[in-house]
Amino acid sequence: MSIFFKMFSAFSPAALMNPRRFALWSCALLLVTFLPTGLRAKEAAPKPVEGDKKTSVDESPLSVVRVHSTNQNYDFFRPWSKRPPYQRSAIGALLPGNRVLVTAELVANTTYLELEKPDSSEKVPAQVEIVDYESNLALLKPSKDGFLEGFRPLEIEESKVGEQLHVWQLENNGNLLSTGALLTAVEVSSYPTDTASFLVYRLTSALQPREGSFTTPVVRNGKLTGLLQRFDPRSQNADVIPAPVIRHFLKAAEAQPYRGFPRAGIAFSNLRDPQLRRYAKLPNGKGGVYVTDVLKGSPGEKAGIVAGDVLLSVDGKAIDQDGNYDDARYGKISLIHYLSTLHFDGENVAFAGWRDGREFQAEVKLTHRASGESIIEPYIIDRAPRYYILGGIVLQELSRQYLREWGQEWLKKAPERFVYYDKYQQSLFADDPRERIVVISQVLPSPATLGYESIRAVEVKEINGVPLKSLDDVEKAVASPVEGFHRIKLEEDPGELILDAKEVREMEDELLKAYGLSTIRQL
Amino acid sequence: MASSQCCFMRFLALVFLVFAPWQLSAISIAEVRKSLVRVSVTEQEPNYRVPWMPGNVNSGTGAGFVIEGNRIVTNAHVVSNARFISIDRENDPKRYIAKVLHVAHDCDVAVLTVTDPAFFNDTVALPFTDEIPQIESSVSVYGYPIGGNRLSVTTGVVSRVDFQTYSHSAADAHLSIQTNAAINPGNSGGPVVQDGKVVGVAFQGYGGSVAQNVGYMIPVSVVKRFLKDIEDGHYDHYMDLAITTFPLVNPAQRRALGLPDDGRGVLISSVAKKGDSDGLLLPGDVLLGIDGHDVESDGFIMLDNERVQMPEIVERKFKGDSVVLKVLRDKKEQEVTVSFRQAWPYQIQANQYDISPRYVLFGGLLFQPLSRDFLQASSIDDLRLRFFYNFYLTDALYLERPEVIVLSGVLPDPINTYLTDFRGAIVDEVNGVKIRTLTDLANAFEKPADDYVIKTVGLGRPIVLERSAVDEARERIRQRYQVRLESNLSDKPQF
Repeated sequence: MSIFFKMFSAFSPAALMNPRRFALWSCALLLVTFLPTGLRAKEAAPKPVEGDKKTSVDESPLSVVRVHSTNQNYDFFRPWSKRPPYQRSAIGALLPGNRVLVTAELVANTTYLELEKPDSSEKVPAQVEIVDYESNLALLKPSKDGFLEGFRPLEIEESKVGEQLHVWQLENNGNLLSTGALLTAVEVSSYPTDTASFLVYRLTSALQPREGSFTTPVVRNGKLTGLLQRFDPRSQNADVIPAPVIRHFLKAAEAQPYRGFPRAGIAFSNLRDPQLRRYAKLPNGKGGVYVTDVLKGSPGEKAGIVAGDVLLSVDGKAIDQDGNYDDARYGKISLIHYLSTLHFDGENVAFAGWRDGREFQAEVKLTHRASGESIIEPYIIDRAPRYYILGGIVLQELSRQYLREWGQEWLKKAPERFVYYDKYQQSLFADDPRERIVVISQVLPSPATLGYESIRAVEVKEINGVPLKSLDDVEKAVASPVEGFHRIKLEEDPGELILDAKEVREMEDELLKAYGLSTIRQL
Repeated sequence: MASSQCCFMRFLALVFLVFAPWQLSAISIAEVRKSLVRVSVTEQEPNYRVPWMPGNVNSGTGAGFVIEGNRIVTNAHVVSNARFISIDRENDPKRYIAKVLHVAHDCDVAVLTVTDPAFFNDTVALPFTDEIPQIESSVSVYGYPIGGNRLSVTTGVVSRVDFQTYSHSAADAHLSIQTNAAINPGNSGGPVVQDGKVVGVAFQGYGGSVAQNVGYMIPVSVVKRFLKDIEDGHYDHYMDLAITTFPLVNPAQRRALGLPDDGRGVLISSVAKKGDSDGLLLPGDVLLGIDGHDVESDGFIMLDNERVQMPEIVERKFKGDSVVLKVLRDKKEQEVTVSFRQAWPYQIQANQYDISPRYVLFGGLLFQPLSRDFLQASSIDDLRLRFFYNFYLTDALYLERPEVIVLSGVLPDPINTYLTDFRGAIVDEVNGVKIRTLTDLANAFEKPADDYVIKTVGLGRPIVLERSAVDEARERIRQRYQVRLESNLSDKPQF
């Protein structure tokens, strides 16, 4: 029997919940802090890795501070409660204006932030000034002016493949631990929220596990060249948010309100196949990419670009058959870097391309696409999940953050229909009038929901004849019961759930008490 | 109904068994000895990855028993994909060659006969019981299971009578009887006997790592239904209302639908398009009665003084029969007669046997219809493909695509060297023609054209194959990959 029990429990969300797992990440690579660093730190202090003398003089510890963040994630399976708090520590890089740069992931759902001086261990509370989860960067500010007085802010400088960089960590005694790292590759890759791709520096480094290294600065010649965001101790490979992305973030952060990294909203694929090139009636030559999809309402669509177009150049820079352009600094790099990082929200780029055997030009005004513009939000951070409990039926809005609650294997374990909706949302819901997809995430057993207990993860179409564009429409729908009943129409079996409106109203307090809820709705 | 249950059951590790019993009554054992046979089978499983290859040859044994009409009953899974069947029995050194008369893969039963009529001279036809055996009554299982060569008997009691997914097709559920008598590999097809009568055919159970002493037999009602179905020389399969239902337990729901608190009625939550109830029943109808039996709110009915699941009524129907349903629609009772015209045709979620895989090879691109067999053989793990498979019935995807045609493989050649990324893509159109079946695809490739432009579902970039290049590559690909046939559009049984 126990075997049966195990098999079934694996399907219940409760069994999958791991409060210590950080919900934001889908990447299998280990994070620096996940190492059993506590033990190692007590060993004899390792010597700084040999660098050339000149740089070690510049590597002043007065350019970094310890950052301690207490975070408390929301629980999308129980949207009325938060997960247990946990602490993470990192090394922040000091920037001009008394600001500290860390990865956004460090401060995701933060409840309390502290800065600590490495030498004196003096601490001060801090606030997040600007955070951008897509580029994984955040700027912090100490609550006390003058706390960082005497510190030397870091300048920012790009690096190139083959250069020797240094990863900065701190010893327990506050001394700088500087480990050499070779910059082996520069490429465009997806970032933790999976919403956008940006440049990364890939390093190889014999980095030593240290406590408080969730984020660490990566420097060259005493100048900040990146922030470490992932490290795999087995392969000794590290991913670094590079200087160009940091520069973009800092420049964008000067404007109010902060506007994120822009996009064109154009999906493309390579044009290597000579048969496809001939079919597209391309002139001789090798370059160009094939537009496979243009996001509805995107800058690309507004500029008249359509699927089937071939993009040959941007701002006069040739696009090769794999979608790269020739970057002055990095050589062949994906076009995405040019559009999203080297340009700012609101700026224009000029594409030249090929359509129906003729050349065309298109001026695209690049804009940032906020997470909330997607019908299924890719991430929800620093914001409580919305819910509405109707007599025990828990209504929520479908989001990838909710799907990620199924754990690292969420693509396999979360309800398949929803995973499919999420992945193909741009085409599936291109013409959908809804802003959000309302679902029943679970049913809290109560006298009103007798017989409905097993229902979970189904899409709701309408309540009392009111189509639900988002959870905001529930209130209005519930205000007008049909002959004393709430009729909840579902997209799937069993088709319809019915509640007694009066009973639902009268039992609200009891339900709150029974399940220890503070409120019946959170909008 | 049965078909929509399949996906929930797949993770249960049901395994097939071949089987043997033990009986106290001396008369009975003597008769069983004269009826029980060992069925030795050489089978050839089709290879869905290389569908033009003949497939691997395996052999195995099961049990069977002689019934009236010089026939032998065994499990369908014992003789599926058989190339050669031989039979032997206790107290007879000879081996006889047998052939399949009829096979029902949806309920895992087959009847065989032996070509040498002398075989039946000394056999006894075992009689069937007319009833479902009582819970806790003793049964004996006869067969040739693992552990030795001679006849084996195990005994136990009837533990449970319930609907179960039949793992052989994996998409059908029928009544089955659970017993704690040991049922092991080799027992399959053997009779389960009580008081000198067959009460079931041993067929599946759990491996020891999952559960102990849980074996299943096919009840006589299922075997008899099969024998009756084939009386006209043709097996017409089970009939299906093709609806899903939901228990009507919630008091508010009952009141809103106009039902008294009498524990009757289930909600019809969906009616499959193109099913036999399509247009006759509507989602939201309340099913109150079936062929004169009241339907209780948990989906049970009283039948022959037993409380059984409502589908049991439909289980006993044959092609051409009908069923009279009492439904509540818009709070008014009415009678609806559903005639069973055909078995449910869209079976991609069921294991298939005795057919050869269907495919089309063009320019080194292999196209196959999506099916359970295909997915199990394939290494493709694609979200869209999984969605099309799992929601094929619930979302009625079969309306637009009676067959979901997948670009399942690429035989590398200069003509397709840039196309390997498309593996797992679903074909939508070829040269502007919608592809609904594999035959549509074959026809589209037959049509003369300079270019063949293949559009796939969701991938914005088309596949372009130039006719001249395809022609030029054809012989090269055939020889390099030993392609015997470039397409197989017929799934006709091979024997």
